[in-house]
Amino acid sequence: MAADEKKKELLERLRNAVIQYDEDAAKEASQEVLDVGMNANDAIFNGLVSGMEEVGRLFEAQEYFVPELLMCADALYAGLDILKPHVEQLDLGVKGSVVIGTVEGDVHDIGKNIVKMMFDVAGFNVYDLGRDVPLDKFVEEQVRTDSDLVCLSAMMTTTMTGMKKVIDNLRTKNPNVKIMIGGAPVSADIAEKWGADGYAKDANNALKDAINMISSLKKLKEEAEAKKRG
Amino acid sequence: MSITTMTAKERILKLFAGEEVDRPPCFSGMGNVTTEGLKSLGYKFAASHLDAKMMAGAASTTYKLFGFECGVIPFDLCVEAEALGCDINVYAHSEDLLYPTIKTKLIHKEDEMEISIPSGFQDRGRIPLVCEAIGLMKKDIGGDVPIGTYVLGPFTLAGQIMELNDLLKLSFKKPEKVGKLLDLLADAIVTVAGQFEKAGADYITVREMGATSDVLSPRVFKNLIQPYIKKIVDKLTVPSVLHICGKTNDIVPFMIETGAKAISVDQKNDVAESRKKLGKDALIFGNYDPYNVLVAGTPEMVKETIKKCMDDGVSAVWPGCDIWPTVPAENIRTMMDEVKKYRR
Repeated sequence: MAADEKKKELLERLRNAVIQYDEDAAKEASQEVLDVGMNANDAIFNGLVSGMEEVGRLFEAQEYFVPELLMCADALYAGLDILKPHVEQLDLGVKGSVVIGTVEGDVHDIGKNIVKMMFDVAGFNVYDLGRDVPLDKFVEEQVRTDSDLVCLSAMMTTTMTGMKKVIDNLRTKNPNVKIMIGGAPVSADIAEKWGADGYAKDANNALKDAINMISSLKKLKEEAEAKKRG
Repeated sequence: MSITTMTAKERILKLFAGEEVDRPPCFSGMGNVTTEGLKSLGYKFAASHLDAKMMAGAASTTYKLFGFECGVIPFDLCVEAEALGCDINVYAHSEDLLYPTIKTKLIHKEDEMEISIPSGFQDRGRIPLVCEAIGLMKKDIGGDVPIGTYVLGPFTLAGQIMELNDLLKLSFKKPEKVGKLLDLLADAIVTVAGQFEKAGADYITVREMGATSDVLSPRVFKNLIQPYIKKIVDKLTVPSVLHICGKTNDIVPFMIETGAKAISVDQKNDVAESRKKLGKDALIFGNYDPYNVLVAGTPEMVKETIKKCMDDGVSAVWPGCDIWPTVPAENIRTMMDEVKKYRR
């Protein structure tokens, strides 16, 4: 009973540390999670990620803006850095490997980094190419790592047309690869026209999409565990 | 002179002066060079950033080929940052249309934020080149259309010379420190704009897209950024346009308060609502989507969109951003026709 209460308290503290962008509090609570022998996975998903979900809601309600979002992400990473080495191998039933980057000509990477964070949280192998990435590099890296997801980001109208080229080249090399595009100028129309599998039009959408993805992965995992138990 | 024989230049200068005009002009304060225009002169996009004659020549083709009612240079957003000491990349190797970007930042961490404006700033980087190009274009087409140019807003410039990530967080955690930097950058921008005015620019657009409500709260915009935009606008002697893209409906009153002669908004702004908020005399420029409509849309879609802009009450038909160069000739002509035949 006491252990349950302690667990509840720690999850609440992790969640609040993220919402209140308090890196120190996130570190302290994460260390305590390890000290009391609590499950690190549980702490990440039901503490840190749960906090980030609330941040997404606050962003959508326009109570939080990008600076707050970035500070919350810092708090999440502060906790994640401590907890992640103690996460058991996730058996998600899907291969979690993603190539991500901002296309050549564009030096904006905030949206890309927020999406990347969610992949980090989900335990994906993330191959982050950074920003201003030559278009061929995406294709090379996908082939090299055999990743099943490629995420392309562009912040400006003047750079997004490069994404079409990458999509075409990726499809030629590997018809099955999933491609997600994102950034302010991108629309559902463009994603469809260019043959992307998904799109996120801004940081908020990227965050929501990534969270949705993680939620479904969590569900898969729970089902897998239930099967194992059953 | 009768009102129907106005040249584009007369129409636009009258509009800025608050006088009556026969119809909304169709022009821009941002880049509008086209692939067609570059092709007609045999110029490569990457080379046009580094040569005054090519820059002026390429920019004037949008008027010469399509009757677009202005000439605007430069094409990229790196002039100020480059003059402050950043290296830029013009992607000379690339066959694609790529706009120059900043290669190296000036400020790498918080304690490097106390910079100063380099001596001889007004002659650094491509400032003299852009001035020369303004002069060339003015001689060429300046009798028919107004010559426009642009500077960055202080916050957007700050986001170029330091990591945007850090700037955004610091504008929350240490606004006084960011304010100090913005104040200094406002001085630098005033210097650049002053040179452009001397070179013959008829109007100047201040591009502060980093301060959109997609990124920053209206409160931070009002408290931290607006005072420094106002500082710039106050010093300009030619008509000024303040451009912010993305979500802007909550900040249009603050944009007008800067004293800019006109404000420029993109397709995310509900112009009918902004018009209601700001009254009939405010100059609101906008707000068609320059890529999804003008480049990727059908002529029918262009027609509808342009008509809606005018029905919603824009004072000038004007794109939400730089026009992407591959714009089809038919679309740009359709736009011009739609504006010319429009009667309120």
